[in-house]
Amino acid sequence: MIIESLVFAVGFASSLLSMPAVMRFMRSRGIVGVDMHKLDRPSIPEMGGVAVLIGLTASTLTAAALMPERANILLGFLFSALIAGIIGAIDDLKPLSARVKPLLTLLSGVPILLMGAYNPRGPVFPIIGQTRMRLVYPIVIIIALAVTSNAVNMLDPFNGTMSGSCTVITISMLISSLILGRWEGLILSLCLLGPLIVLYLFNRYPARVFSGDVGSLAIGAALGAIAIIGRLEAAAVIAFAPQIMNAFYGLSTIGRLYERREVPRPVILRSDGRLEATSDPKAPITLARIILAYGPMHEREAARTIIILSVISGILSVFTAYLMKVTT
Amino acid sequence: MIRRIVDFTLILIFMWACMILGLWIIDRIIVPLEMPYVHPLITATIKVGASSALAIIWLWIWREIVKRMFWHTLRSHRRRSMRSRDGESGGKSIKGNN
Repeated sequence: MIIESLVFAVGFASSLLSMPAVMRFMRSRGIVGVDMHKLDRPSIPEMGGVAVLIGLTASTLTAAALMPERANILLGFLFSALIAGIIGAIDDLKPLSARVKPLLTLLSGVPILLMGAYNPRGPVFPIIGQTRMRLVYPIVIIIALAVTSNAVNMLDPFNGTMSGSCTVITISMLISSLILGRWEGLILSLCLLGPLIVLYLFNRYPARVFSGDVGSLAIGAALGAIAIIGRLEAAAVIAFAPQIMNAFYGLSTIGRLYERREVPRPVILRSDGRLEATSDPKAPITLARIILAYGPMHEREAARTIIILSVISGILSVFTAYLMKVTT
Repeated sequence: MIRRIVDFTLILIFMWACMILGLWIIDRIIVPLEMPYVHPLITATIKVGASSALAIIWLWIWREIVKRMFWHTLRSHRRRSMRSRDGESGGKSIKGNN
């Protein structure tokens, strides 16, 4: 319990201390983004995800130092997140094409395979139990991390949405790990939770920092790695339901991989400061657009709605973990 | 906000229940499938194919439900706002005539 608390505290403190410095650095270098959903369109420092990576590195290395016998698992997790973060940083500084970025994120699953930080037999499902996928599973791991990192990156329409919903997913993975007695899932969730809470505090409405792709891709890869290393795949699929829904509809309406700047905006800002779903048939059907189809909303309310949906899918994912315990 | 959350919650619960049902079908029907006189590799391929088809059907149902819900909601919202705009302008013209 002491080790777990210490890992969480180190991650939280190092992210909290580094975030203001990261924000100042990004602003001084002109790495800022325009907050499109505000009438005054303020410039906000980008790449706040760098502070998440600093916190994640500190917490994971602390855990590895305290438990050297589990270092392969912890380093596999850390390198996966760092690779995705580096790809995100490159994309933030020099935008990559819609096809190259997902292809590059396939690399983030490689450390898990190289460190042998996964269950070689395959995933565990409720009712079915342990599957036998020895040959296919390594390929599934590579694809899974690319899917989670890009799905998280795509669900970042409003202030605090990505950081808030990912905090909820991490908490649900933590509870699922406790239910199933999976130590790996528990410690890795705690490594990520501290930096994520800090990002949410700075990124919630009205945002003081944007996470950038460096943050969203790294957090998505870290969550995918927790699911695989902690053997929580089925629970993770349910916890990721809003992200899956968002990515799946966006891709199916456009019919190909796309970058946000290539397609019409799914959400428009009204003169009264509220957000509205566009009726442009060429715009992707994203989760944000579906939520706003019921009528205009303030950004704060829209962000809260997505986080509440994440809480509901998180509850279902915890229930899935309980089913896994009971039925297998 | 409540209406949006309730609709999505119902979809999430329905899709979750469908996933559990799909896993039950795989466990009870597809996995125990025995095919006499058929090579075990072909039987295994058929089992994987059938399970994958179930997963694709699950995703397809999910997509269709949300797509229909989205366009229905958008149309009914537009109709409602047009009706209320017509009502407002009608009221003004009557007042003006008087």
